Amino acid sequence: MLELSPLDAQHRALGAKMGAFAGWDMPISYAGTVAEHTAVRERAGLFDVSHLGKVLVSGAGAEPFLDTQLTNRMADLALGRARYSLICNEDGGILDDLIVYVIAENELLVVPNAANRQAVFERLAAAAPASLDVRILDWTTLAVQGPRSRDIVEAMYPSVKGEGYMRVAREGDVVISRSGYTGEIGYEVFTPPELAVETWGRLLSAVGDAGGEPAGLAARDTLRLEMGYPLHGNDIDASTTPAEAGLMWAVRLEDRAFPGRDAIAGAAPTKTLVGLRMTDKLIPRHGYEVRAEGRSIGTITSGTFSPTLRIGIALAYVETGSAGEGDAGEVDVRGKTGHAVIVKPPFVDRSPK
Amino acid sequence: MYPEDLRYTSEHEWARREGDSVRVGITHFAQDSLGDIVYVDIPGPGTAVNAGQPFGEVESTKSVSDLFSPVSGEIAERNGALEEAPELVNQDPYGEGWMVVIKPSNIGDVDALLSPSDYKALVEAQPGN
Repeated sequence: MLELSPLDAQHRALGAKMGAFAGWDMPISYAGTVAEHTAVRERAGLFDVSHLGKVLVSGAGAEPFLDTQLTNRMADLALGRARYSLICNEDGGILDDLIVYVIAENELLVVPNAANRQAVFERLAAAAPASLDVRILDWTTLAVQGPRSRDIVEAMYPSVKGEGYMRVAREGDVVISRSGYTGEIGYEVFTPPELAVETWGRLLSAVGDAGGEPAGLAARDTLRLEMGYPLHGNDIDASTTPAEAGLMWAVRLEDRAFPGRDAIAGAAPTKTLVGLRMTDKLIPRHGYEVRAEGRSIGTITSGTFSPTLRIGIALAYVETGSAGEGDAGEVDVRGKTGHAVIVKPPFVDRSPK
Repeated sequence: MYPEDLRYTSEHEWARREGDSVRVGITHFAQDSLGDIVYVDIPGPGTAVNAGQPFGEVESTKSVSDLFSPVSGEIAERNGALEEAPELVNQDPYGEGWMVVIKPSNIGDVDALLSPSDYKALVEAQPGN
């Protein structure tokens, strides 16, 4: 049985194509993936991302506790800030990537991927001292993304005015963060479920007035891939390490102890996540083999047609040292040889900052 | 949705008899299910095709699907416009979004394909419809 967003009826009324994603029945597209993608890059898009996990860690000492569990430093995370981190196993394998938002004094909102919500919750709950409360919240998450999102969200939530990237504001029961997964300036709005319908309605109307439109998870995927953002379950998982995935920027080793720390500090990666930009019309997909000079050097973990570049793009693990930026690569596209160049993402010249 | 002058396959291609040739494309249902079509790979004139067998591919942002030939024969023409504008398949699946013209070995084979009402029944039996 799939979980339903509190906005399920709204999506159906808009004619959304719904689909199963990480145990949820979510809108995959409305008007069409390319149109939605373009709206976000050029104007604004509104996403329902209620499937994202919400785990609240509350009590005095919540920051130092999370500091013992996550790869990024949390001890110094101040009220009104958000930070990206990984959570690893003892071997340094990535259990999930997540964002921690300080939404109130001694209240940290941890947002893992939908598929990992239970695992992250159980791990934090098991490790937390008795003085802390760890619980799953049923809040709704909406994302307003795109160059016009600032005007839209500031008009509705004046307290976010001038808010910088990865900063968090609060208005009553609503948490508004300058964050997202598209590479554009954008906001994530967290509301209790009883405010979901009203908040969606107001944001959808404002986004529409600004020339934007609702956008589904298919556009969210093409947008994140154009930025080279990894997706847990595709590009990163328990069999990949932060160094292999190019995520050492989210790991702080100095003076810290957390699961996987020693493994991460000691290991030299044997595979490296790289970007591939096709130079012909073939489209790379998950699982396709990557070759250089006729020899297999790795496998694609995410691939799509880039609506912005109008060419195929992909993330792939290749043997460390086998291919560098600017080198030619080939992709086995169902028996046909696709030609690509190795690049360092992002594939498009955008920034959420 | 189901033009009366066409015949259909259970794999969601349409076929239109034009003299002793057959024009082929994918149905409205197929293009809607696939979503935005971004690449169409179809062979050129002279290529032999077999009824029920794949002869090309269509790709959306998300996935790739085979194109199945409605009849056996040889490709006489391909829609070159789709190279630069694959979105024509979404915009006009029964018109400018056509894929190939096939010269069938036996033109009578077209009549054995699904009728509009049979195809409509097949689509309406799909989950979610």
